[in-house]
Amino acid sequence: MIVISLCLSSLAGESRLNVIATTEDFGAIAREIGGDKVAVTVLAQPAEDAHFVTPKPSYIVKLARADVLVEGGAELEIGWLPPLLDGARNPKLALGQPGHVACAEGLALLEVPHTADRCRGDIHAMGNPHYMTDPVNARYVAQRICEGFTAVDPSNSKEYLKCFNSFTNRLDEKITAWQKQLEPFRGQRIVAFHNSWPYLAARFGLKIDLFLEPKSGIPPSPAHLADVVAAMKAEKVGVIIVEPHQNRKIAATVAARTGAQVVYLTQFPGGVKGSEGGYLNLMDYLVSSLADALGKTGNGRE
Amino acid sequence: MNEALSIMLWPLVACLLLPGILVYLGLHIVRREIIFVDLALAQVAALGICLAILLGHDSHDWQTTAWSAAFTMVGAAVLTLTRRGGRGIPQEALIGIVYIVAAAGSFLLLSRSPEGNEELRRTLVGEVLLVRPGEVLRTFALFVIVGAVHVVFRRQFRMLSYDPERGRSEGLRMWWWDFLFYVLFGAVITSFVRIGGVLLVFSYLIIPAVCANIFATSLKSQIAAGWAIATLAGIGGLYASYRLDLPTGAAIVCALGVALLVTGLVKAVVSRIGR
Repeated sequence: MIVISLCLSSLAGESRLNVIATTEDFGAIAREIGGDKVAVTVLAQPAEDAHFVTPKPSYIVKLARADVLVEGGAELEIGWLPPLLDGARNPKLALGQPGHVACAEGLALLEVPHTADRCRGDIHAMGNPHYMTDPVNARYVAQRICEGFTAVDPSNSKEYLKCFNSFTNRLDEKITAWQKQLEPFRGQRIVAFHNSWPYLAARFGLKIDLFLEPKSGIPPSPAHLADVVAAMKAEKVGVIIVEPHQNRKIAATVAARTGAQVVYLTQFPGGVKGSEGGYLNLMDYLVSSLADALGKTGNGRE
Repeated sequence: MNEALSIMLWPLVACLLLPGILVYLGLHIVRREIIFVDLALAQVAALGICLAILLGHDSHDWQTTAWSAAFTMVGAAVLTLTRRGGRGIPQEALIGIVYIVAAAGSFLLLSRSPEGNEELRRTLVGEVLLVRPGEVLRTFALFVIVGAVHVVFRRQFRMLSYDPERGRSEGLRMWWWDFLFYVLFGAVITSFVRIGGVLLVFSYLIIPAVCANIFATSLKSQIAAGWAIATLAGIGGLYASYRLDLPTGAAIVCALGVALLVTGLVKAVVSRIGR
């Protein structure tokens, strides 16, 4: 499938809309909406920490040539995207232009701080930026991207709308299935390395509120890990979520002390093996991995 | 090519304007055989930046510069006081200790900061690619001032590094000139660390100076040779970074390393033919 779309992209050439996405989740949805009318390039590697991306010259080149930029709009990329955009000096991607799609605009984010206070860890003044693990938010993002493509390239608006409808139909069906799959585990507590999963937890009725990081973005300290271990033992928490760029050794140590199992998950399609096939595939992977792991702990209401 | 130039323009300007003074200071450092003093001072400067960040300042705020400069001054004072080392303790050992403790201190401080990982990487390899025009020009202005002081007092500074015996016999207040040297040196390093990172500072100071020592003997010809090598390697590194899409700072460091290798090989060939 990917090979075919790559071949098509080289054939169609110039006429296609040149789209840059900051991360693979937005890229995957942009491909769904744009179909063969757009060529999508993603800047961050799927297994990379999207908070920190090493700037390379090609990123500026790509941004300078782009027609549309799709970014999170919730400060996930704030450490690296603005200086790259400064370097690219592409008027089409200026804030407020139709070519600059900030996906979170208009979305109600979780964990919006009352005061921007660095002492609480990663400062995300707009709220938690990891909102794409809620598939209902992905639906909204698909709509934002569809509107963006339509505004920049009205001649193909019918195509974009068709792709949008097709994608959201499949998504809606899937959401029902995913909810059914995780229903037996409603209310269960899960530990995560970083606070990346509040949207997933809220959508599927899980409790992912214990973190190996003492504060968001701050590496685990021995005292904090001891607290986490105690809490896990007291509540019989059996699953720890780790992402590709996070320290697996720490998670494995905690798992060994609590008898929990470590689950390797990613927020981005392609971040771990088996999640490469786009957004629906990623969510399939997330839901079944969690259902498997939670099923093995034996706490589920089977 | 136009696109390449428009993207790499400010990194290029930075690489053409800024290393000049580093190369010159590097010749002093190599001559005094205190090679790691720059790593130590650069790391102390970085420690100041880390503390400022932990206190809630942005890495581009003036408070960050102030902290970094204050730390560098203290570092300069320590290095002046230990210039002669103790009995059986070479100054190089103390310099190494300053570096290691400052590096570990940065690590400790940044472990409390959410942007810690990113800052650690930035203090090491810098952000040459994303350098701001204003930053380049401000830094260049500072370098011009430092350079001017060095030109005005060239006799004293020369004696300090190249002929300390004569300096002492002529009644030069060595500790004062030492301190002034380290303060100016610290100011240069502090401002360049924020653009290029610790690795690039060290490379620009030491590698052209070592290359120049291979070929030239007089200070003037050494400066000229060092500048030529720094410029060529800088342009080469930027070109490689653009063509092969590599992180820019690290590419320039490696280009300087290659320049040293080539210089060494040429020297070996030339001296063999000469025999």
